[in-house]
Amino acid sequence: MLKKLLLLLAGVMMLWAGAQSQDLALKGGTILTITNGTIENGTVVIQDGKITAVGKDIRIPAGIKVIDVTGRFVLPGLIDSHSHIALSDVNEATDPVTPQIWMHEALEPDSPQILTTLGGGVTTVKTMHGSANVIGGVNVTIKLKYNRLVEELIIPGVRQQLKMALGENPKRLYGTKGRTPSTRMGTAYVARKAFIEAQEYKAKWDKYEKNKAAGKTDLTPPKKDLKMETLKMTLEKKLSIDCHTYRADEIVWIIGFCKEFDLDLIQLSHCVDGYKVADVMAAAGVFHGGWIDWWGFKEEAYDGSPYGFQIMYDAGVKIVINSDSPDEGRYLFRNAAKVLKYNDIPDNEVLKMITLTAAESLELEDRIGSLEVGKDGDVAVFEKHPLDSTTKCLLTIIEGEIFFDYARDSITSQGGHR
Amino acid sequence: MRRAALVGSFVLGLLLAVTISGAADVILIQNGTIVTVTGPDIQGGSLLIENGKITKIGKNLSAPAGAKVIDASGKYVYPGMVALMTSVGVTGYPGASSDTDEVGVSTPHMDPYDAINPEDDCIEVTRVGGVTTVQTVSGSRSVLNGKSVVLHLGGDLAEDLVCKRYAAQIINIAAREQGKYPSTIPGVIALLRDKFNQTKEYAEKKSKQKETAENNGQDEKGGKGAVPPFKRNLELEALIPVVTGQIPVIFITYDELTVRKAIEIIKEYKLKGIIQARAGVFKYLGKLAQEKIPVIWAGTTALPQRWEAYDKNYHTAAALAAHGVLFAFDSGGRGPGNRNVRNLPVPATISVAHGLSEEAAIKALTIIPAKILGIDDEVGSLEEGKVANVVIWTGSPIQLRSRIDTVIIKGELVPMTSLQTRLYDKYSQLVKERMTKK
Repeated sequence: MLKKLLLLLAGVMMLWAGAQSQDLALKGGTILTITNGTIENGTVVIQDGKITAVGKDIRIPAGIKVIDVTGRFVLPGLIDSHSHIALSDVNEATDPVTPQIWMHEALEPDSPQILTTLGGGVTTVKTMHGSANVIGGVNVTIKLKYNRLVEELIIPGVRQQLKMALGENPKRLYGTKGRTPSTRMGTAYVARKAFIEAQEYKAKWDKYEKNKAAGKTDLTPPKKDLKMETLKMTLEKKLSIDCHTYRADEIVWIIGFCKEFDLDLIQLSHCVDGYKVADVMAAAGVFHGGWIDWWGFKEEAYDGSPYGFQIMYDAGVKIVINSDSPDEGRYLFRNAAKVLKYNDIPDNEVLKMITLTAAESLELEDRIGSLEVGKDGDVAVFEKHPLDSTTKCLLTIIEGEIFFDYARDSITSQGGHR
Repeated sequence: MRRAALVGSFVLGLLLAVTISGAADVILIQNGTIVTVTGPDIQGGSLLIENGKITKIGKNLSAPAGAKVIDASGKYVYPGMVALMTSVGVTGYPGASSDTDEVGVSTPHMDPYDAINPEDDCIEVTRVGGVTTVQTVSGSRSVLNGKSVVLHLGGDLAEDLVCKRYAAQIINIAAREQGKYPSTIPGVIALLRDKFNQTKEYAEKKSKQKETAENNGQDEKGGKGAVPPFKRNLELEALIPVVTGQIPVIFITYDELTVRKAIEIIKEYKLKGIIQARAGVFKYLGKLAQEKIPVIWAGTTALPQRWEAYDKNYHTAAALAAHGVLFAFDSGGRGPGNRNVRNLPVPATISVAHGLSEEAAIKALTIIPAKILGIDDEVGSLEEGKVANVVIWTGSPIQLRSRIDTVIIKGELVPMTSLQTRLYDKYSQLVKERMTKK
């Protein structure tokens, strides 16, 4: 009886474990660790969702699933630090200041964009509010756990980032409606006014909380304001900032603005002119998050130059390649190869732009971005080296679970449709 | 005296400029892997260029006196890529002026040649990216959009660039607008039938008029005889070579329905039809091959539909090749937004990762687009007698990290500079200066 019960219990536990993650070992591949060089004919072991071993002569624990990846390339799951996938809505384009908007409210975990992006070896993305508003919504950093519940996608404990946008988009949108901002001056005013109001709001609440903590009674709490709540969080550095910029003057301006209000500016998105002020960016420690070769599709993007990466790299700017797109995230590795067409930057440094440096821009470098013991079991297996443009992704694994499998998901194994 | 010296140096400069451009007349490329595209590769091969043409390809060619010799050891010599459906030359400066898409549903007489700006920054950016010949189109938003012109991306004046003036007409079979005729696909089809029928009648009337006039001893311009002067219709005149099958017509399509309608119209009017497709070709692979309708494949990077496999579009080029459909890669979207014609190899790269042979991919970037435009006797491969549009690469164009060392257009070395290299030069200097000051 006891034996039966134990068996049942074991069965239930196995089912539970199966639904969560599976221990597995990827054996025989060329491992691009990103942080500790390349390991030929190596093995990566993932247990309970974490990497427990990476190396050449690893003893694979008994009973765990072994996948032979001989001849393949094993690398950390790629990271798109500016994505627009899996969102039912992107832009609350009704007001230049909308920090009350949280992008996780628009997440669609069953979006086919997740599967196509997984098919490019991507495991983590920051999916963002659009650039209509000077202060947009709060972006959400997620793992691409296709078809799971929203709360399973959102990475627990990660500091989310508030989207800001400068330049032509907000001024065109509101200017054509006869509203402020219709100029870059107006944009600066709108941003400054919002954060001054937030400082006042925070002071009121701080005072109230202080009095409350001091045991004072008969206190009336200040009125809650959802816009101000988010900006207060930003002032308290519970949120950081990712700002959409193109021109060099804007880049310098936002760095100064965030200093003025003591805000954590993490990443400049697009940052097409970043190379022109690479010294300023390097000194500020802000990440460049952009494309390699998009240019000229609007006036403020006219000076985009793919050779600019060299200037930024030489100046010590932290460079991240991202997609700014609901569909381009699947080509991060091909865009990384393009960096090498125009710039003399070592291969591994270029791979960092879509792995470790991207993880740093999300403040997740302790969890993702390289293959190291203790990090999340987020792994992509590629047919050939990821900087060989004729390669493709064969397996995408998140925390030990296979979310993309070429053998299952490709048209070649489905007779055309699925 | 000073003035005379100035004039003198100006004349000298002019002479020098002439001799420099003349000096490039004979170029010998040596020791490279010559990828001829239409024939076998030649390892350690040489290629001789004289007077704008490829005059000799082989091994160990000796340099004629005065020839500029380029050593291509360890490098690959390819024909310049040919890009279809671009707006190179008419893109304009954003926010200032773009010269594509004239107003109206039927503007087949619009000629992009009339708007070519040889100083468009796109020209340099595109050619240092290995694309030496482009088809520039007048627009894509109307039903009958207009003519398209083929340009070699070297030359000072618009006329210097021209390879072929009226290379193809462009029809968008899904160009419909709510509340305006035609607002439906059947409306578009009816409009096309009307225009083609009118053109046939017009052409007949025109030739009869000409015949009568000639019989009456008149010249083409009419005159005082018994026949009234002929009233010309520029719109229909632009369609005469289309309905008579003299020039190709490219149908912009979006899905299975529009692909099917394009095939039907091509057959109905016996057009020299070409289909630009971004989806919906899978069911018609056999039909396209059988009818010998070439495809400009623009859908490699299109997102699949919810019910389709994630890599359906990545595999389409391989499927087109397997069924024997003549296809070329599209330049990746048209209109002022696309200044990245240099990324022409990207869809080819993805297709090679997903089943297409590299050989077929290279052909779809060179000789097949040339065939589609009817200029394959001039460009698209490295063959003796062809226009010397030659590019030296550090690796295959299919590898996105491969660099381009040398670009030769119409037998002349093109400076490897563009707006973007000039920006690099300026700001790498400025940033360095500021950093050393600190």
